[in-house]
Amino acid sequence: MSELTTWNPYAPLSAQTTRTLGIAAVAAVLLLWAVISATGLVSPNKLPAPWQVAKAFGYLAWDGENGRSLLLNATLWSVGRVLAAGALVVAIGIPIGVLMGASPRLNAALSPLIDPFRSAPVVALLPIMVMWFGIGEWMKVLFLFVGAVVYLIPMVRDAVRAVPQAYWISARDLGATPLEAVRHAVLPLAMPRIADAVIVAVSVMWTYITVAEYVNAREGLGQLIQNARRFSAMDQVFAGIIVIIAFALLSYQLMRYVKSRMYPWETKL
Amino acid sequence: MSDSANPVSIELKDIVQEYPHKDGTGVLRVVDGISLSLQPGINMLLGPSGCGKSTILHMMGGVRPIGVQTPTSGTVLIDGKACVEAHDDAVMVFQRYANRPDLSVEENVAFPFRLKHWRARVSAAEARQRIEETLAAVGLSAHRKHLPSQLSGGQNQRVALARALVLRPRILLMDEPFGALDAQTRAEMQQLLVQIYEHNPCLVVFVTHDVTEALTLGDRVIVLSTQPAKIADDFAILEPRPRSVTWQRSTEAVRMEERILAQLHAASTGRASLRVSV
Repeated sequence: MSELTTWNPYAPLSAQTTRTLGIAAVAAVLLLWAVISATGLVSPNKLPAPWQVAKAFGYLAWDGENGRSLLLNATLWSVGRVLAAGALVVAIGIPIGVLMGASPRLNAALSPLIDPFRSAPVVALLPIMVMWFGIGEWMKVLFLFVGAVVYLIPMVRDAVRAVPQAYWISARDLGATPLEAVRHAVLPLAMPRIADAVIVAVSVMWTYITVAEYVNAREGLGQLIQNARRFSAMDQVFAGIIVIIAFALLSYQLMRYVKSRMYPWETKL
Repeated sequence: MSDSANPVSIELKDIVQEYPHKDGTGVLRVVDGISLSLQPGINMLLGPSGCGKSTILHMMGGVRPIGVQTPTSGTVLIDGKACVEAHDDAVMVFQRYANRPDLSVEENVAFPFRLKHWRARVSAAEARQRIEETLAAVGLSAHRKHLPSQLSGGQNQRVALARALVLRPRILLMDEPFGALDAQTRAEMQQLLVQIYEHNPCLVVFVTHDVTEALTLGDRVIVLSTQPAKIADDFAILEPRPRSVTWQRSTEAVRMEERILAQLHAASTGRASLRVSV
């Protein structure tokens, strides 16, 4: 690396270099992991070797003995829960966030009820959720919903409030009612950041999915990990975690792509 | 159309504007008893930055962006009627063009017709025709499908101007509209404004802090002093537009420039925010 690009946050980096550095870092960690496992420094019960994880992954992907794919089944359940909760988050969270952003009065009333939960340990709510909603499917979806919506609402509100006042004033001057000014001048400009809020909310749900599936789940990636841990199958635990990370990354990239296609006009700050 | 086809007047009577101080200890007076009567023509409102020019312009447009009573005292009359909210007679053009980045040039110009208010007053066919005419008038017909991000600053300001003109306002309120443009583009936009004005004379109130711009465009120049704003000078320019460089270098023009600069200088030496306890 040259002097110019080392401590220069604005230095352009080619896609090639970015990719090379990223892959090299992952490869380095894998290598370190493999070396530690090969030397037997750490017991495989604590840290399974990469090849053991790969083997476990193969078994989970296709169990020849029973002719089934544990992974596919678990993944479909987890994805389904994230999608169901995601639909609720979008359908309920976005309207509330927009209303709070558009009305300082509503925001003053609702933000003390919502904002603190961003820093509250949502995981600690799980027992309460179980008491209220039982241990069925509803509880899991609602848990994901609560966990994500407390992030989404303030982000949507801030997205609306970040739109420069000039747009609202200009629309009002042209004869828009206050509501029309919000709908036709403010909201369209807030959409890219609202899309960002949805992306964050989905990412948050992927981090909570294991917790949601800890309680009485018969299917799902969280349950798969939980089950493997109970049988001390650390290789399967690792494989499960990697699958969750992969799905979280995949959905993140996919949503970023969709967003860039939907709002190509978004200005880069 | 002749001047008489668009008879309209703006009357300011003893306008005072005060804003409460952030620390709540008193009020800041930004406009101090301005009385002014404006007729069709290009009226230049000239003053140092932050002297309250925009506040006065907002009042004429009836726009109330801040939760403060505007004006604190005094009245704004449009054609003798008190102006208390945004009205059809006046449209504003801002320095920040406020174009929607997700809409094409054409859609931005058509924006007012998305609003109930104008849908009820202008038929779709008429709107269509007005949009065509206005796009042609500001020279954007060839760019109709472009997004604002694909346009230059000057072109974006043309879009904003077109969005105002499409409503055929009798009053055009311009808040330093060309202030962010480079000199070349500014000159082009000034020419365009004169063209549009000659074609359809109306009452233009043009806020600027650029003395040359005031002398290039104005039928009348009103010089404001700095906070709190008062009228420091007010005179007419009879030279017909477009004004040649020769005229701008004439003794008459140079005297006007010196006169304005002297007023602005006098205004800025006493620059201090006036605090009035309540």
